[in-house]
Amino acid sequence: MVFDERLTIEQKLKILSAAAKYDVACTSSGVERKGKRGYVGNAESGGICHSFSSDGRCISLLKILFTNQCIHDCKYCINRCSNDVVRTAFTPDEVCALTMEFYRRNYIEGLFLSSGILYNPDYTMELLYRTIWKLRNEHRFRGYIHVKAIPGADPALIEKVGFLTDRMSVNLELPTADGLKKLCPGKSREKILRPMRQIQTGISENKNELTLYRSAPSFVPAGQSTQMIVGATPENDFQMLSVAEALYQRFGLKRVFYSAFVPVVPDKSLPVPVGGPPLLREHRLYQADWLLRFYGFEAGELLTEERPNFNVLLDPKCDWAVRHLERFPIEVMTADYPSLLRVPGLGVRSAKRIIMARRTGRLEFADLKKFGVVLKRAAYFLTCQGKMMAPVRLEENYITSRLIGEERKKTCEFENASSFRQLSLFDDMHLEAAPAPSDARKALFGEL
Amino acid sequence: MVYLCESSLEGIFCGVYAVYADRQPLSDCRLSLREDYEPELFCSYKEIPLDPSKAEKVAKKIRNHMSMDAYRALSRAALHKSPERADQILRFIALGLSAGRRIMQMLKEPAVYEIFRMDQYVKNEAHFLVEFSRFWKQPSGLYCGTIGPENDVLELVASHFADRFPDMDWALCDERRKKAALHTSSGALAICTGITEEESRLFDKNIAADCYIKLWKTFFQTIAIEERKNPRCQRNMLPLRYRKYMTEFQP
Repeated sequence: MVFDERLTIEQKLKILSAAAKYDVACTSSGVERKGKRGYVGNAESGGICHSFSSDGRCISLLKILFTNQCIHDCKYCINRCSNDVVRTAFTPDEVCALTMEFYRRNYIEGLFLSSGILYNPDYTMELLYRTIWKLRNEHRFRGYIHVKAIPGADPALIEKVGFLTDRMSVNLELPTADGLKKLCPGKSREKILRPMRQIQTGISENKNELTLYRSAPSFVPAGQSTQMIVGATPENDFQMLSVAEALYQRFGLKRVFYSAFVPVVPDKSLPVPVGGPPLLREHRLYQADWLLRFYGFEAGELLTEERPNFNVLLDPKCDWAVRHLERFPIEVMTADYPSLLRVPGLGVRSAKRIIMARRTGRLEFADLKKFGVVLKRAAYFLTCQGKMMAPVRLEENYITSRLIGEERKKTCEFENASSFRQLSLFDDMHLEAAPAPSDARKALFGEL
Repeated sequence: MVYLCESSLEGIFCGVYAVYADRQPLSDCRLSLREDYEPELFCSYKEIPLDPSKAEKVAKKIRNHMSMDAYRALSRAALHKSPERADQILRFIALGLSAGRRIMQMLKEPAVYEIFRMDQYVKNEAHFLVEFSRFWKQPSGLYCGTIGPENDVLELVASHFADRFPDMDWALCDERRKKAALHTSSGALAICTGITEEESRLFDKNIAADCYIKLWKTFFQTIAIEERKNPRCQRNMLPLRYRKYMTEFQP
């Protein structure tokens, strides 16, 4: 291990951002904070992306490690102590200067500070605390801060950090305790879950306190998140999704992130993914995760012990719908919100728009298209005023084959790793154009 | 009859006022922007001067009779680039006068949908610029940036930065419309129109003068994962037309 003291700030930035890039979370959402004179910055609850790197991922925060020194030897990690790379560390002042100056130029929304473990967890956590403290108090920074809680660090330190940050996260790394034992010799499931539980308790206690005293300082107001690596260990999709569901329900997490395994250090206990990182699998997990959080689905509805993996050809919602044709078609004018949400091609926004617009008029398929409904998918599952858009056999194989034709184009692009796009709630960015008159005619007369 | 009004929200509202004052049937009227109007044959037209008190009457009517949401949607739609915007606003108001508070729910109506669509476009572009605008620091300490939006969103974007950087000297220039938002460290925000060629040159980036430009480019390069390279996705999320103003894509 080479520890180089004489690196320039640019060299350090290069090393410590490259070492942090495998951490997925780069969101700046969950907290709304107005600006204030005497301070720099504010925060928007929807989050703000500032750029997109050449892999298509959003850049919202200055994502860096404090140091890439580490006492652990996790087999998949670029910073494992047995890996021969140049080691370095920022000083708290360097991190503050980079954050403030990038922020003022509108490059970033704030800081995402993680770290390898220098000497021991307490020492490292203390360094992170000192950095964040300076940023908030000396530099008067009111932007977004996300800090990793170091498993094994003193709970008192974690608490102090929690009062200065917007979001905290502890990486679960691998979905099962077995996988963790195999790949991360220095870590244990128990050690990871302990700070996670502590942050959860802190958040809920703080909520009570805030209802009593409005001026009480807030603790991790944007909630906590975690991340799991997809495809480094043999767990199936059902196991992954069940773990995620349990984290949402039992640990009150805001987000679970999935990270397709990229082999960066060769190790005989690691798989070598054929055809690159498992991006499609990761994409399906995100789609299903969305269904859990916003669409009222449960993991057990999407996958089972007998069918433990996602359909490669269909997205999880379509896949669920074609297996439950007895519930369809549903009538746009009368269906309740939860049923609308379960229709493929409908999202949170379009379902809300339907509910709003049908109060003042009868809806037709042409209207749905304007609201952002993807009729290519929704047409098989909806009626407007009792009519389907086109005569459709409500039969699983028929609909599946039609939907797959639609999906294949997308999946193909996936395999060529060229069109990956993170799911977004903000589907308005690509509002459908008004339908052509011929489409409206077809919809009106119920013919294809 | 064609009514020609000023292109600001106030100007358009004055046009609406004039249409109603003449008690003409709406189907015979059209409201156009004076600056975009090309005279047509067999068509009489009337120029409507700006009168803030009339505009305020219309605005008040919308806020009280329809809703604050409707008023906000119209004020953003008025920033849309379409030369038809004045007429679209007229049609919306006409429907709103009979529909009242329900107007924003009536997405099915073309007059409402058009305003909804224009409002979305303006909001989205303003949001893009909140994300993608870039400042650089001049040796004088002034942070300045340039944008070139399709719609007239400078004020919307500037109000975001005024909240974010209340104690900073900064300037944001819309080079298409030759106007700039100037913010001083005392907290004042002003919009200046008619920016000259010489003034706009002050905004040209000087890479040597600001050492954080290079650091940001370095970060932008190293944060990408080579194995996941996906230029198509990057292009979907970050449309090419914004890149010419963005530090990380500039040579």
